[in-house]
Amino acid sequence: MATSTYLSNLTTLTVNAVSLVDQATNVVFTNTKEQLEATAFGDTSRKYTAGLFNNECTMTLYQSYATSETYATLAALVGTTTNVVASITDGAVTKTFTLTGCYLEALPVINASLGELSTVDITFTGGVYSVA
Amino acid sequence: MKYIIQSDKVGKIGDEFIPDDGINIGALLEGGFISTATETKSSKVKSEPKE
Repeated sequence: MATSTYLSNLTTLTVNAVSLVDQATNVVFTNTKEQLEATAFGDTSRKYTAGLFNNECTMTLYQSYATSETYATLAALVGTTTNVVASITDGAVTKTFTLTGCYLEALPVINASLGELSTVDITFTGGVYSVA
Repeated sequence: MKYIIQSDKVGKIGDEFIPDDGINIGALLEGGFISTATETKSSKVKSEPKE
């Protein structure tokens, strides 16, 4: 039976070389190659072919305005490109996923709810995907 | 340009930071994670050549 329960398996999460693993509660790293329609007259079923890679990494981080924490890491990255690295350890196997040159379009600077720890959801798009 | 690590979120404080391709140096400087290294000049004063 194959399962992956995430407790401390996410061993590394860096954004622009800054470790944010202690602020993260969720990470989704998606390797996407766009689907282009290639159906032509005479075909009886739709056909598709691969287009460009369009990768994405989303994460949920606890908001912290303290020195060297979430806000200090991300504030100057809005509208720029950077690198995101996430490593997962599963037994003796460690996989390191990297997005190089991915773009951060937006950063929620306040996400306040009464009585709750504030979190921010951010999305990095594009960039070159690699795994080691 | 040489950079020095100022936060343990990036590495060992005081070590030189060597950025990978794609790292946004400006954002690291603005966030105080690294600083630019200032070169220290030798305190030795060059003496005049003896005649």
